[in-house]
Amino acid sequence: MSLHPGHLATRDKPPPCRAASQRFSRWRRATQGSTLLLYLALPFAGMTWVTGTLVALKLGPVDLLEPAAALSAALAARTVGWWLLLGTAPVALLAAALGPVYCSWFCPFGFLSEALDRLRPRRWRRWSGQPWVGVRRVRISALAAFFALSLGLGLPLAALLAPPRLATALPLEAHAARGIPIVTASLLAAILAFELLGPRRLVCRALCPAGALANLLRAPFSLRPRFAEERCRCPDIAPCLQACPWGIDPREMRLHDGCTTCLACVDRCPSGALFTLRRPSRDPIREPISGPPPLAG
Amino acid sequence: MSGSAAAFLRGLVAPPPLRPPGALDERAFDALCLRCGRCIEVCPHAALRPAGLGAGYGLGTPMIEPRREPCWLCMKCPPVCPTGALRPIHEPRDADMGRARVFEAGCYAFQGILCRTCLDACPLQGEAIRQDAELRPAVTERCVGCGLCERHCPAPGSAIRVVPRGHRA
Repeated sequence: MSLHPGHLATRDKPPPCRAASQRFSRWRRATQGSTLLLYLALPFAGMTWVTGTLVALKLGPVDLLEPAAALSAALAARTVGWWLLLGTAPVALLAAALGPVYCSWFCPFGFLSEALDRLRPRRWRRWSGQPWVGVRRVRISALAAFFALSLGLGLPLAALLAPPRLATALPLEAHAARGIPIVTASLLAAILAFELLGPRRLVCRALCPAGALANLLRAPFSLRPRFAEERCRCPDIAPCLQACPWGIDPREMRLHDGCTTCLACVDRCPSGALFTLRRPSRDPIREPISGPPPLAG
Repeated sequence: MSGSAAAFLRGLVAPPPLRPPGALDERAFDALCLRCGRCIEVCPHAALRPAGLGAGYGLGTPMIEPRREPCWLCMKCPPVCPTGALRPIHEPRDADMGRARVFEAGCYAFQGILCRTCLDACPLQGEAIRQDAELRPAVTERCVGCGLCERHCPAPGSAIRVVPRGHRA
């Protein structure tokens, strides 16, 4: 097949000017990997400055509680204590400022889920329509069900079944029991199997109580990919849309649509239309179209 | 509804296990415990383990099997609990985990054999277990149920066993 001249015709918008970068993605892989390694090594290393699983973590003197799990326990026990406020406040504030960064940057279950996603057949790895819209209601209902059941049964289900807890408790319990902890291992295996065979990454996107609450806690001022429409030169199926692990179109995203601030879309944006902190200049023509940056001096 | 449903579900499974020192009552403990594993992690004797499916509601909560590894009353676990499911106590005498019970049929001392293994193993020497006039062990009110006696009893299957506090209720 030969290229006909029309193929090379200029479009009404200039071509993309920046190559995809790995700025955020590389750091994200690094933090995900080190969290996983830390948890695999933790029980064996005899470290004392970091203890607990990702449901209740102690970093030095700082006591951190995952808000959904803590709230679930408070509902189950029908008590309120200072621990609830003091432990969850730092975590909730971080979620307000940065969104559910735990999911994309730290959670070992999220890391496993991402890895398993690569094993899915290609035709199961396509998003159709606007996947972030349909999942909104699922996310809220699942979180509400977790809290209602915790209250009704007197059992902190959002802590017991939280994927981040299961993933980080496994090495710890294996070390304590000098064997494979059957309950934790089988719960984790069942959830991972659902993640692999069920709707694409539904546990991380909607069913995990920790992720769902962190998503709700995101404040309007939070760090997230923002969109400068006047700079965008991409067609409907843009690199940013393809980069998003949740199939969200960052150009249409609303505050609580499930973005986990992985910033892959910002990395992949060719025109600088997606940004995090500093809005790009209004005049795109001054930017170099392609090639290396001009030499200094 | 919740109270009776919980009681029913709990009745279906095994009786409550031996808890770490300072644990709240079973129901409150199962509700408040986040299963975070900090107490399990901090235990220097690997005495604490997460309960399995047999524990029903207590699934994943810390428990002690004294015959495998008893509690040495080092009191490291109560302060690390993030929700207060273990009250932050420091004094071994306040541990209140249960109480040891002597099963006379198996106990050597009750059969006229000189044995004071449980008395020697007891961390609350002379307080929790005393010898009566016939040199037989007698558990007192001061026993906190650590299980060291159960672990060390030479009789087959242990003639002295801890009854967890949850059983008394």
